[in-house]
Amino acid sequence: MSRATLGQLDEALAGTAPLPRANGELVFEEPWQGRALGMGVVVLERTGTGWAEWREHLAAAIARHGQPPGESAATAYYTAWLDALERLLASKGLQPSS
Amino acid sequence: MTQEHDHDHEHHQPQPQPEVALRTEALEALLAERGLVSSNAIDAVVELYENDVGPQNGARVVAHAWADPAYRTRLLGNGTPAVYELGFSGFELNTLVAVENTPAVHNVVVCTLCSCYPWPLLGLPPSWYKSPPYRARAVAEPRAVLREFGLELDSNVEIRVWDSTAEVRYLVVPERPAGTDGWPEEELARLVTRDSMVGTGRALEPSELAGR
Repeated sequence: MSRATLGQLDEALAGTAPLPRANGELVFEEPWQGRALGMGVVVLERTGTGWAEWREHLAAAIARHGQPPGESAATAYYTAWLDALERLLASKGLQPSS
Repeated sequence: MTQEHDHDHEHHQPQPQPEVALRTEALEALLAERGLVSSNAIDAVVELYENDVGPQNGARVVAHAWADPAYRTRLLGNGTPAVYELGFSGFELNTLVAVENTPAVHNVVVCTLCSCYPWPLLGLPPSWYKSPPYRARAVAEPRAVLREFGLELDSNVEIRVWDSTAEVRYLVVPERPAGTDGWPEEELARLVTRDSMVGTGRALEPSELAGR
């Protein structure tokens, strides 16, 4: 899998876990959210992970995390994104499970 | 050089979840250490996506300040409401201070303890902004750092280094290039680069626009 463009990412995630947007613009409330997104995209590329596998990890992480009261949609989404990324790496033996 | 700050005040990752930001950083560091993902590769992706949240917001603010002297005065007087006039929010929890470059004074922004950055205007910070060498050296030897960015300043130009905090973020208003009288704001905005608003570069000259 080559590096995804934003359009491909949107298309791949639309049905499962669409990226948080407001008025069509990506919502990053804090810089870490953008880093987490960028890191995920590069990891998918480098590990040759397909969309189906990523969607599964992401959907499971979103289901685990939910949206705690007081937490914004973008924070909840990217927290789950990060969690999914950690688990994906662990499943590939690339990260010590903590 | 002017040192504006003591370093005892509170620097921290602002709301809402400092620990998730730290987890992100830790994972990035781990991936870099393993040679799996470099920070530069992440930067490249983020840059690709940041047409959505990029420095063009800041560029519009600067272009408007260049074109409208009354707005420039408001921006330099109180940045937060001035950028809100143009529809840019995100400084509810801190204050935006705009500082203006002149032939005699050059401003440069750093965050010595972390990576505080006016991201609603400039998008996500580049990795050099977060790097320990930049954070340390921008204060200790700004002239040398700026030279490495390709910015050679006359020795009589005063350099002011602004250390960002959780409470205060800075936007540099670069000098308006010559030969741009009467330009519409959209054209002016194209001259305003990210680095020029951090103070590590100048606005582009009209002749530099052609290749972009």
